[in-house]
Amino acid sequence: MPMLKQHLTTAISLALGTGLTLGLAATAMADEHEPAWAQGRSSELADSPLAPHATPMTVTAEEDIPLDHIRLPDGFSAEIWAHGMPGARMMARGDDGTLFIGTRGIGRVYAVLDNDDGEKREHVIVAEGLTQPNGVAFKDGSLYVAAINRILRYDDIESHLANGGDIPEPEELTEAFGLPDDEHHGWKFLAFGPDGRLYVPVGAPCNGCEVDEDTHATIHSFEPDGSDTRVEARGVRNSVGFDFHPETGELWFTDNNQDWIGEHSPNDELNRLSESGEHFGFPFCHGIGQVDPELGEADACNGYTLPAAVMDPHSAPLGMRFYTGEMFPEEYQNAMFIARRGSWNRTLSVGYDIQVAMISEDGELAGMSPFLVGLLDPRENDFSGRPVDVLQMPDGALLVADEQNGAIYRISYETPDYVEE
Amino acid sequence: MRLTTRAPWRRALVAWGGAAALGLSLALPAAEDAPAVGLPFEEQVQVCGACHGSDGNSQQAGTPSLAGQPELTIVNQMIYFRERLRQNEVMTPQARGLPDGEIQALAAYYHEQPVATPEGDPDPELKALGQELAAQQRCASCHQSDYRGREQMPRLAGQREDYLVAAMIAYRDRTRGGPDTTMIDVMRGVPDEDIEAMAHYLTYLHAEE
Repeated sequence: MPMLKQHLTTAISLALGTGLTLGLAATAMADEHEPAWAQGRSSELADSPLAPHATPMTVTAEEDIPLDHIRLPDGFSAEIWAHGMPGARMMARGDDGTLFIGTRGIGRVYAVLDNDDGEKREHVIVAEGLTQPNGVAFKDGSLYVAAINRILRYDDIESHLANGGDIPEPEELTEAFGLPDDEHHGWKFLAFGPDGRLYVPVGAPCNGCEVDEDTHATIHSFEPDGSDTRVEARGVRNSVGFDFHPETGELWFTDNNQDWIGEHSPNDELNRLSESGEHFGFPFCHGIGQVDPELGEADACNGYTLPAAVMDPHSAPLGMRFYTGEMFPEEYQNAMFIARRGSWNRTLSVGYDIQVAMISEDGELAGMSPFLVGLLDPRENDFSGRPVDVLQMPDGALLVADEQNGAIYRISYETPDYVEE
Repeated sequence: MRLTTRAPWRRALVAWGGAAALGLSLALPAAEDAPAVGLPFEEQVQVCGACHGSDGNSQQAGTPSLAGQPELTIVNQMIYFRERLRQNEVMTPQARGLPDGEIQALAAYYHEQPVATPEGDPDPELKALGQELAAQQRCASCHQSDYRGREQMPRLAGQREDYLVAAMIAYRDRTRGGPDTTMIDVMRGVPDEDIEAMAHYLTYLHAEE
């Protein structure tokens, strides 16, 4: 567990002392020797205990998985659907029902084989030794994997898995896609759009810096073979999750905002792309109209698209999907479930939950409310799990990937008996 | 739960549940398991101890001491070796196929071992210079003010001087593979003489505890 408690007292006094003006107070930024996560930390905060929490790379025993911490609205329940997969992150489902799961640090891609018997649900490692293979997507029998420095395609993967044989070497699409391979914010989400194109974000290679608007801080789309590049969204600092509206086909995406500007700002974002090529403000304008203290002029937010909704600063919204299933109550139709991995760059932790976003009548904004909570213990300022992605199953249940415990939960719904049908 | 029997590599095409922790893989060709795999704990400690010292205090040039290291430091590096994410001629084969539970048990053991006093006497001038440089580099912000390390960030106090020098140079020159790129950023362009001074300071820091 992260050692949050022992630093809490000093960190709080530090936060009170510097208040909301952390970024503004000090222009003396850290020198070139800072590690990536400390970029932008002012010299006053050089001894700050705030740092990213290490992700376990070892198996969490089933009895230690914090299933009984999970709280859901009435009628919903959670169970462990699969486990024993350290670092499990982004999910994609094959046509034959295999669940593919990407990771970061441990370099693996897992496949959970379709099996209704949860006691014996099996998983295999389909790839290993990759550099942060976070992104997985499935189309026409092929698994696509995005690592920091590579894009790979595994053809007919489910038939190879079903036959119990070796999985052939993947097609190397790295050159065809021609994406930057920066380590910083270089782990990628992957998803196919309703247009059949493969959507790939490229994060800013920094905490905050000016970037080439055609390469970094973007969401690109490609034909599945890597041809016909298009920049779909610009000024997106680091999106690690998106989905397409089931009716309009619009791209909605989460975005993680800048660290070290303040404990209570800028907000993380949920965005809607209404027009290809739209600019969302990074690095000049953050959240809802917050001008960057270093790079932004007074009118820096003019002309940029503002978020459809904001979330707590540093709460790290990642994987998100629209819900179209028949299991959950009607109000969840076309709502978005958003996994928040949880904060490190603020003293009092936030996130570590699933939020649900309901879209406004005009289709342009969204309202957010908590859905799955309990993995953050606010009294201890400590956490027991980190939701990073969600995925709807054919029966309408929702899978949730918990990176901290290498577990996949299944959320299902049964109408409570006090509700009149 | 410890699995006591292991299916042959090629037959283990489907790993269930915890069996994936054994590092079985469909995608990659068969690889030899490390010599320590499946041995009783006492014999595993002997395998490691042949280079790292029986009590985790290394007597071998260029080989780091493990005594007193945070558990997660050892666990993470062993997993990087096992998964071939960190390539090292000696250690990558030594970690191959070691289950999570065995790695965690070894890490817990070495964490508990007392750190031995380094041989020889420090050069006070070099040590003072190293202290100043380490402060400038803000090494303590991750490795703790007493350089005892924390979680995945290793203990530096009392580590072998030759190992610290070699490790820092390897980070600077980007010859030390592995997923942790933090030290590459930190060490960029640091001259040899600064590295030598910092290593000297850190090695003898422990001697005065």
